[in-house]
Amino acid sequence: MSKILVCIKRVIDYNVRIRVKPDGSGIVTDGVKMSINPFDEIALEEAVRLKERGIASEVIVVSLGPTETQQQLRVGLAMGADRAILIQHDTAVEPVTVARAFLKVVEQEAPLLVITGKQAIDDDNAQTGQMLAALWNRPQACFASRLEINGNSALVTREVDDGMETLEVDLPAVVTTDLRLNEPRYVKLPEIMKAKKKQLDVLMLNDMGVPVSQQFTTLKVSPPPVRQKGVLVKDAKELIDQLKLKGVLQ
Amino acid sequence: MLNTPTPELLNQLKQIVGPSGVVDQPQDIAPYLVDHRKLYRGATSLVLRPESTEQVSQILKLCHAHHIGVVPVGGNTSYCGGATPSSAGNEIVVSLSRLKRIRHIDPDNYTLTVEAGCVLAEVQQAAEAADRLFPLSLGSEGSCQIGGNLSTNAGGTAVLRYGMARDLVLGLEVVLPDGRVLDDLNALRKNNTGYDLRDLFIGAEGTLGIITAATLKLYPLPRTRVTALVAVDDPAAAVALLSFLRSSGSDALSTFELMPRIAIELVCRHIAGINDPFDDTHPWYVLIEASTAQLTDHLTEELSEVLVRSQQNQLVREVLLAQSSSQREFFWRIRETIPEAQTRAGGSIKHDVSVSISDLPKFIEEGTALCKGIAPEGVMVIYGHLGDGSLHFNINTPDAGAHPEFFAKKTALNNAVHELAMRYRGSISAEHGIGQLKRDELVEFKNPVAMQLMHTIKQALDPHGIMNPGKVLAGD
Ligand SMILES: Cc1cc2nc3c(=O)[nH]c(=O)nc-3n(C[C@H](O)[C@H](O)[C@H](O)COP(=O)(O)OP(=O)(O)OC[C@H]3O[C@@H](n4cnc5c(N)ncnc54)[C@H](O)[C@@H]3O)c2cc1C
Repeated sequence: MSKILVCIKRVIDYNVRIRVKPDGSGIVTDGVKMSINPFDEIALEEAVRLKERGIASEVIVVSLGPTETQQQLRVGLAMGADRAILIQHDTAVEPVTVARAFLKVVEQEAPLLVITGKQAIDDDNAQTGQMLAALWNRPQACFASRLEINGNSALVTREVDDGMETLEVDLPAVVTTDLRLNEPRYVKLPEIMKAKKKQLDVLMLNDMGVPVSQQFTTLKVSPPPVRQKGVLVKDAKELIDQLKLKGVLQ
Repeated sequence: MLNTPTPELLNQLKQIVGPSGVVDQPQDIAPYLVDHRKLYRGATSLVLRPESTEQVSQILKLCHAHHIGVVPVGGNTSYCGGATPSSAGNEIVVSLSRLKRIRHIDPDNYTLTVEAGCVLAEVQQAAEAADRLFPLSLGSEGSCQIGGNLSTNAGGTAVLRYGMARDLVLGLEVVLPDGRVLDDLNALRKNNTGYDLRDLFIGAEGTLGIITAATLKLYPLPRTRVTALVAVDDPAAAVALLSFLRSSGSDALSTFELMPRIAIELVCRHIAGINDPFDDTHPWYVLIEASTAQLTDHLTEELSEVLVRSQQNQLVREVLLAQSSSQREFFWRIRETIPEAQTRAGGSIKHDVSVSISDLPKFIEEGTALCKGIAPEGVMVIYGHLGDGSLHFNINTPDAGAHPEFFAKKTALNNAVHELAMRYRGSISAEHGIGQLKRDELVEFKNPVAMQLMHTIKQALDPHGIMNPGKVLAGD
C-alpha cells in the first residue's frame, strides 16, 4: 500500500522574541526554543488523518537539520508518524539543497504523496515543496486548504486572491499546506512514550551525493526599525493638524 | 467625620495636577463609578490623575488637612468593589494610571523598580526584555496595575512556585495619608532593621496610604515549559497527583489548576475557537505546568515519566502534553476564559476561599452539598488554584435569565460557604481582598484581636480616616 512522506523543518519557536546578533551576521539561536514549523505540523496532521482513514499505510516524517532535530522528529512520531528519517547537517542550507536531499529519500521510499508546509516561518522562502516537485518531475498543488484523495489523483483546494481554486493532480504529487487545512491534534501521553521506541534513521547529508550549493550570501541582518511612540491628541482638530504636520494630509 | 470638598478646595486639588490630570466631566468620570463586576455604583465630583509622587503627596496633604476621603484606583479590576467610591459623592478618586515609568531595572540584582500605574503585562514585558521573569500572572494582567496588585496582595496562577504579590516585593514608596513620603525603595533581600513596614501596605487595599512605586523581585526567564492537561476522577485524585508530582522531585512545578467538567463545557459553548481537546468526557481536569531556565528535554522526560506512573496507578485518566507553543496557549486559554464563559452563561454568586490543600476535596464535597440544599437550581462551577489551596467556589444561575429567586438566596449561600471555610480554618478571601463586598462579613469571621489590631494600625496611620473610607474596615 501507499506511503506518505512528510517533510518538516526545525525552526525557532514562533513565540520567541527574535534577536539579531550585534554584528548583524544573523539572528541569535543559542539557548533559543526550537519547534516544528507550524505549517509542517499541519502537514503531519493531514498525513496521519489520511492513514487513519485507511488511505495511506505508512507515514514517514523526514527533516534536514542538526542532530537536535531528532526532538522535532520524535514529536512527529508522537503525533502518529510510523518512522522518521533525519538528514543530518549542522549548518543551514538553501531550499534547493533541501529539495535535492528530500528527492533522494523520495526515490528510496517511492511515496504516493509528499506533504510539507507551504513555507517555513524562519526564512519564509516557500520554495522547498515546489523545487522537490520539479526535481521529482511530478505535479505540485501548493497552499492546500482542503485535500481529498481519489485513487490515483488528488483534489486540492487552495485559497487564491479571488476565492477558492480546486486543482486535480495525478499522484504521486507534492502538496504544501496552508493554515486552514486542519488543526493539529493534542498528543496523549502513551503516544509520546510509544514514539520513543519508533524507528528513527539518521543519514549524513555529506554522504548522500547531494551537491550543497551556496548561491546566496547574506550581507547583513538588521532588526526592523523601532516603532515610534504614539502621541495622544485632544480632539479631531489636533489630530488633523498632526497629520498635516507629518505630511499625511495636505 | 469626613467633609465634602468645597468648590475652592476642588480647584486647589485640580491645580496640583494641572489640566491634563483633571477628570471632572460626568462622561469621563463615569468609568470610575462602577466596579468590574458591576456590583457597586458610586459618585464623585473629581478624579485626579497625578503624574509624580510629589503630586500624590500634595493631594493627600490637602485632603488630610480638610478631612476629605480619597479612593485610590489602579486598573479598576477589583472583584470586591475596592476602588469604587461611596455613593455619598463626597470622596475624590485618585487614579495612578499616569504614574507609569519603569524607573530602573537591575538584571544582576534581579530587581525592577516601577511606578504604581504600570500595567502588570507591561511589567512582565519589561522584565522579559531584560531576559528575566516577573512571575505574577492573573487573568486581568492586561489592565490591572502593579499598585493595585500590591494593594490587594494579588495571587494568580503561579503562586505555587513564586508566592503571592507580597512575596515578590523588596521595597516600596508610599505616600502616607498625611502626605509624607515613605521612601523604602530598597532592593535588598536581607534587611532586618525593625518592623517590616512594607508588609503593612501590601494587601491594605488603599486604606493606609497610596503606593507610588515598588522594587520587585525578578527570576530567571523560563526557557523550557512543559504544559499538560490531565483528566482525573475527582478533586481527591488531583490532590494525590499534586503530592505525587512534588515528592517525585518536580521542583519545577509552577501551575496546578483544577477545573470541573462544567467549566470545559462552558468555555466550549461560549468562547470562540475552543473545543474539548479530549476524545472522551471526564469529571475533572488539571492544568499542570513546570518550567526551568534551562533549555532542556529533561523536564519533559521527567514529567512524562511521573505522569506515566500516575496513569499506571490510576491516579489520572488521561494526559495531553502540549507539543507546541500554540497547544500550550490553547490549554491556558481554556483555564483563563472560564470567568468570561461563566459570565456569558448567566449570573453567579462567587466565593474566593482557601483551605489547606489536604482539606480541599472534603470542602468541595460538603460545600457542594450545602449549596445544592439551599439552591438546587444552581450550577456549581468550582475551579481554581488547587496548587495553593484556593478555589473559586461559584454557583451559577441555570441559564442567562434573571432568576431573582436564586439571587434571593445569596446571603444564605455566602454564609454556608464561609462558615464551612471557617470550620476548616480557611479564609473567606483567598486573594481578591475585602473591599466593600466582604467588609461586614470580615467582622464575623476574623479573630476579634486581629480586628482590634487592624483598627489600631488604621488609627495610627490615618487618624482622620481619609484613605479609601468604608473599605476593609467600617468607619466610625
Ligand atoms: C478576569 C479577572 C481575573 C482575575 N484574576 C485574579 C487572580 O487570579 N488573582 C487575584 O488575586 N486577583 C484576580 N483578579 C482581581 C484583580 O485583578 C486583582 O485584585 C488586581 O490586583 C487588582 O488590580 P487593579 O490595578 O485593577 O486594582 P483596582 O481594582 O483599581 O484597586 C484594587 C484595590 O487597591 C487599591 N489601590 C489600587 N491602586 C493602589 C495604589 N497605587 N495604592 C494604594 N491602593 C491602591 C484600590 O483602592 C482598591 O482597594 C481578577 C480580576 C479579573 C477581572
